[in-house]
Amino acid sequence: MTYPTLDQLAPGQCAVVVSVGGPVAIARRLMELGLAPGTPVELVRLAPLGDPLELRVRRIHLSIRRSEARHIRVDAT
Amino acid sequence: MSTRPDVLVLPEGSGTRPRGHAAEGPARRRIALLGNPNSGKTTLFNALTGLRQKVGNYAGVTVEKKVGRCRLPSGQSVEVLDLPGSYSLQPASPDEIIVRDVLLGLLPDTPPPDVIVLVVDATNLDRHLYLVLQVLELGRPAIVALNMIDAAEEAGIRIDETALERRLGVPVLAIAAAKGRGLGNLRRMMDREIEPSTRHFRRWPDPVRHAIEGLETRLPRLPHVPERSRTDLAIALLLEDGEDDALARAVPAGVLDGLPAIRERLDQQDPGWRQGDVLGRYDEIADIVKIAVVAPGEARDETRERIDRVLTHRIFGPVIFLLLMGAVFQSVFAWAQPAMDLIDALIHRFSRLVEAALPAGPLQSLLVDGIIAGVGTTITFVPQIAILFLFISLLEDTGYMARAAFIMDRIMGKVGLSGRAFIPLLSSFACAIPGIMATRTIDNRRDRLTTILIAPFMSCSARLPVYALLIGAFIPNIWIGPVTLPGITLLALYALGIAAAVLVAWALKRTALKGGKPLYVMELPPYRMPSWRSVLVAVRDRSILFLQKAGTVILAVSIILWFLASYPKGGPEATRLAAEITTAQQAGDPTAAAQLERELAGATLRESFAGRVGYALEPVIRPLGFDWRIGIGLLTSFAAREVMVSTMATVFNLGTHSDEPVSLRQTIRDATDPTTGARAYSPLVGLSLMVFFALACQCMSTVAVARRETNSWRWPLFMLVMMNALAWLASFAVYQGGRLLGYG
Repeated sequence: MTYPTLDQLAPGQCAVVVSVGGPVAIARRLMELGLAPGTPVELVRLAPLGDPLELRVRRIHLSIRRSEARHIRVDAT
Repeated sequence: MSTRPDVLVLPEGSGTRPRGHAAEGPARRRIALLGNPNSGKTTLFNALTGLRQKVGNYAGVTVEKKVGRCRLPSGQSVEVLDLPGSYSLQPASPDEIIVRDVLLGLLPDTPPPDVIVLVVDATNLDRHLYLVLQVLELGRPAIVALNMIDAAEEAGIRIDETALERRLGVPVLAIAAAKGRGLGNLRRMMDREIEPSTRHFRRWPDPVRHAIEGLETRLPRLPHVPERSRTDLAIALLLEDGEDDALARAVPAGVLDGLPAIRERLDQQDPGWRQGDVLGRYDEIADIVKIAVVAPGEARDETRERIDRVLTHRIFGPVIFLLLMGAVFQSVFAWAQPAMDLIDALIHRFSRLVEAALPAGPLQSLLVDGIIAGVGTTITFVPQIAILFLFISLLEDTGYMARAAFIMDRIMGKVGLSGRAFIPLLSSFACAIPGIMATRTIDNRRDRLTTILIAPFMSCSARLPVYALLIGAFIPNIWIGPVTLPGITLLALYALGIAAAVLVAWALKRTALKGGKPLYVMELPPYRMPSWRSVLVAVRDRSILFLQKAGTVILAVSIILWFLASYPKGGPEATRLAAEITTAQQAGDPTAAAQLERELAGATLRESFAGRVGYALEPVIRPLGFDWRIGIGLLTSFAAREVMVSTMATVFNLGTHSDEPVSLRQTIRDATDPTTGARAYSPLVGLSLMVFFALACQCMSTVAVARRETNSWRWPLFMLVMMNALAWLASFAVYQGGRLLGYG
């Protein structure tokens, strides 16, 4: 089974990061900001126009664009 | 007690001139504050240094360098450096590159600090510990300051400082910088000799470790890089594959050329090698937190949630945002006006005083029309800059700015910019100068440059008097439905500027400023009450920075323009008029003499170098419908666009201080071509001139501030050429197209 990506979560839904893909430098930075595999993450809300997203990870709120969220696979079960 | 006066001494090349003599004797101890954005680092910096701080730039880059002075309990006075907020020593922005370069000793003008104070948010210890571990791995003396300990206690978070100290290997202190709590302890700690941490948090897989060791042996002895930083330099080199100048300059080409092969080999052996250390540190952090921190689960910040539900609401969010922006714009536009008028009046009165005190002549003219006018221009911008930065600091410090960027990101993203570009661009409708200065909130270099380059396309308030003059002179007051033609024209000019900005941004993002798609990640900080001290310091710093840096260029250009418009004197027409004035005065006819005085001013300008430039410009601007008189106006309006109005008044013998715009409109409409006697300017010429003003870069202050903000002449010159070429082409299209269609 393939895991859903972060942008597919519904607002308010929680999940655990499984993998961070995409360009190496970007993946590394997202992990440094706390989005490392195994970390719980919540999709808090979408911006009024649907993009970017607001995430809650390690008590910090981060905003990333859908284009980056598509590279992050999460376990939502 | 030291009797040395409190002067700040910055290293050479920092962009700030020392106010006094460099201190002799042993070098002052340097302490650097380092932490994530939103760690309260700047609040701590302000609390430690009071108002004794200086803002400059790191040599060659636009990153801001803030240095202050702090007196310690022992009486020793230390230099405190406020490093830019960073998430990691593996840099992703110019700010973070500077931090890494300072800590590795790669910057000749900023030697590595003697002690690093790591400022962390006690309520978000795990994420903030990431940078702490990275810095401790460098093996430099450090102190960890657990900031916002009051907020952590309130949230029920308990941190065992002794356990943390044991695990990290450096002193740990709890503080609350905003309340002044724990600062005495911190100062006492800064007085002591600090030992670097001996702990090792770095876990590199074997192949990577071998590659690092191999690289290390190939690095030559570098003058500014301390011996112990060689390992870190090797790691930085291995992980960095961007366009990192300071790093590339620090090592010989031979080593650089070998890097891609090493990386490729590691990619084959271990595809995840570049991220291995990140995961290793977070494992370590999980261990540390388990021992040293007791937190009551994942408590949610309910206040924050409630505010965010409104401020980022699908409908209320954008509405509140637009209302707030409207208020900011209105304030910069309107609130600054009384202050600007007051400054104007004071400068005017001062000029009169100087005029009265000095005999008429070149010296009086240089002082009054050159220097005082130039300094005056500079000072009149300060109210707008101060008001805009008052709002920007308030919006930043409360945490709203991040929400504004969150709301606007989608729209600004369409032209390849980030949400943070909105406020600078909006401010530019009042004046491009504070607008360009406000681009500092944009962390991506390319986004920031693009925003600086398109900001002057927003129709600023200085264009309004020119628009008003030309619309009044050439656009008939016809009602079209509920609006008038002059109103539509004004709106169209604003729209033209925005359209040009979008077009140029789009083109730049595809050509000169193309680059790997930047990562957009932004932290949405909790809401906080702003500290008035921080806000006022920001306002003061911006104003002083503008006066010092842009002011000198503006003053120099003012003097040059004054010279061009005043010399040579005594041309044939001026000599004739001067003789006639004497005759009129002797005949006791003051009315005639006054009229002749105005004609003399006009003649002097027409016969000056500026007049000659106007004539020389004619072949270039004739295709746009402009004659040499407009040419003079285009030249002098480089001092400030609204100078166009007074120049036109002088050229048409109405006197410099004409208070009757009506008569000037009439005069321009009725102006004739001296050779043919036909009407010189048709409405089509008026339209062409308005289009030119909407698009052209004719403001030396904008160029000066762009020079200061980009730290090079390259981009301001590009801006000057690009905007004026675009203005010329657009005016050409309007004038020639209009003529083809049978107008004018």
